[in-house]
Amino acid sequence: MPDLPEPHPDSQAHPSSMTPAGRSVIHDLGYRPYTGPRLGEGAIARALVATGFKNAFGLGRSTKSKVLPFILLGMNLFPAVILVGALTLFGADELPIGYAQYASTTQVLLSIFVAAQAPVLFSRDLRHGSITLYLARPLRASTYALSRWFSLLLACLVFVFLPLLLMYVGALLGELDFSRQTREASMAALLGLMLALCITGIGGLLASWSTRRGFAIVGTIAVLLIGNGIVTAIQGIAQEELDDQRLGQVAGLFSPYSLYRGLAYAWGDANEPLTPPTNGGLEAAYAAVFVGLSVACLAGLVWRYRKLAGR
Amino acid sequence: MTQDGALSGVSPESSLNLHIGCSALGARRSSLTDVTPATARSAGRPVAQPVVATDGLTKDYGSVLALDALTVSVGHGITGLVGANGAGKSTLIKILLGLVPPTRGGARVLGHDIATEGAAIRATVGYLPEHDCLPPDVSASDYVVHLAMMSGLPRVAARERTAEVLRHVGLAEERYRPMGGYSTGMKQKAKLAQALVHDPRLVFLDEPTNGLDPAARDEMLGLVQRIGRDFGISVVVTSHLLGELERVSDHVIILDGGRLLRASRTDDFLDATGHLLLEVLGDGGQQRMIAALVAAGVEAVPKGSMINVGSGAGVHDLIRDTAADLGLGLVRIQIDHRRIEDVFADA
Repeated sequence: MPDLPEPHPDSQAHPSSMTPAGRSVIHDLGYRPYTGPRLGEGAIARALVATGFKNAFGLGRSTKSKVLPFILLGMNLFPAVILVGALTLFGADELPIGYAQYASTTQVLLSIFVAAQAPVLFSRDLRHGSITLYLARPLRASTYALSRWFSLLLACLVFVFLPLLLMYVGALLGELDFSRQTREASMAALLGLMLALCITGIGGLLASWSTRRGFAIVGTIAVLLIGNGIVTAIQGIAQEELDDQRLGQVAGLFSPYSLYRGLAYAWGDANEPLTPPTNGGLEAAYAAVFVGLSVACLAGLVWRYRKLAGR
Repeated sequence: MTQDGALSGVSPESSLNLHIGCSALGARRSSLTDVTPATARSAGRPVAQPVVATDGLTKDYGSVLALDALTVSVGHGITGLVGANGAGKSTLIKILLGLVPPTRGGARVLGHDIATEGAAIRATVGYLPEHDCLPPDVSASDYVVHLAMMSGLPRVAARERTAEVLRHVGLAEERYRPMGGYSTGMKQKAKLAQALVHDPRLVFLDEPTNGLDPAARDEMLGLVQRIGRDFGISVVVTSHLLGELERVSDHVIILDGGRLLRASRTDDFLDATGHLLLEVLGDGGQQRMIAALVAAGVEAVPKGSMINVGSGAGVHDLIRDTAADLGLGLVRIQIDHRRIEDVFADA
């Protein structure tokens, strides 16, 4: 559609405005109605997810907003590049850091990424009032919340899976045992998915309760990193001072990262953490809390936006 | 308020009336091409059913009764929704968008029930919110494309419609700049563009002139008029400035404390006095004219430099003859327009 000069205010709808989607227009046709297709809620939600996913990495926004996510992504990949480099250079017979161990090692980066980018998807619309424009459109409030959540989940999965993929490819190129690498990498991917689900839920829920980006960032970092610090301290005291494994194992239920560490050791190839879950019952409890927390956060998000729509 | 009265005297498209249903999109469009501005001005779109019809609509927020058994019907064309702050205008719009459930009563928008068909309503209705709603770090062009897709338009169509609508609202090169740097007038235009981009059949414009300077206000009112008359989109526009609405709207609905104060054609508000305003030229013309008219049994009082003359049969002839007898120049005779404010004074 070429850029036409502003029509005279008195210009009226011309009969030729009925021609469909005019091409090579050289004169002003006035207002032309839209007669094309109108897509349903599913297609709208997919478009929202795609836009949100790009926005989470600063794409489609200002240059400034691309800096942080890509620096974090680069930093998150950097150790994996080193690992693969070392593996191919020195020909080790296993990866220096296990697949499942990797996310634990880089948990600070993942936390900062979620804390900084969840507000892009959730707080921004609340802060600038643009949520009203979404709610006045066919999308239901719950679908909006689910789409936003899914965008953030995809962004987190890229963050978690990229280094795993790099390590896996590197390991195969380094001619490590294919079946073992595949088994361990897939388990790490499953654990990474669980971690991403949980972190996305927590980061999204906190960001949806804060109209200010700063509050959301501080809140998310506090819950994720400081929460993990407290749990780790309790686990350390329980193991070293009190010799009470059970206390440490129960404490591990209270932070996504301690849940991840416990399961990554029990199911995957991670190093032994403090007070890991030692029996099937505990492992099941860890997994249940991990998934349950994710589901609860998602439900909270949906509930939050349904409330918002009704105001 | 019904529009049936408005149809009299308009013939070209009245044969199309029967086709204009809520689903007859094509019929609405074909009528558009036939309507000249003059006929569109007086008739708006022919009516098969009201664009909005509420029935005993009540919204009780507990502490505030925002809407109190409101029963009103809005026809095609431009409808002004007037009321002081807190009169229930915004609440009414949110209920009609299907976002807020009413406490009691119901409503239909474009034939859809607000209780069960909210999504269908929101697909064919545009909304310009009163408050800020634009993210500062995105350009108007990108954002309107995104919102067009959020209304269900495929990407290519969304781009085309965005370019077209931004041209109609008058956003030129600045459309590619982040909206954070826009003036209030440009922001209002961007907000208007997103309300129109999916070619709705009805737009709710909540205080579109809020915060605008006089020039931008005139431009916005001109746009509202074009949307209603040339684009063939029904408009419900709110304002607390009555003078604006009497300029652009075909109909006016006045809300007061959540209740309907009055709803009728704008002309009915304005022409209800039936009085004439008269200006004469000559030595002591005003006084002599008044004296002569009163002597002839016609009500006449000074109004500024003009004379307000009461209605009556043959009053025009009387004025002409009286002026001729007195040797005064008759500068003008015009209808004494009331202001919508007078309705509040009467109430």
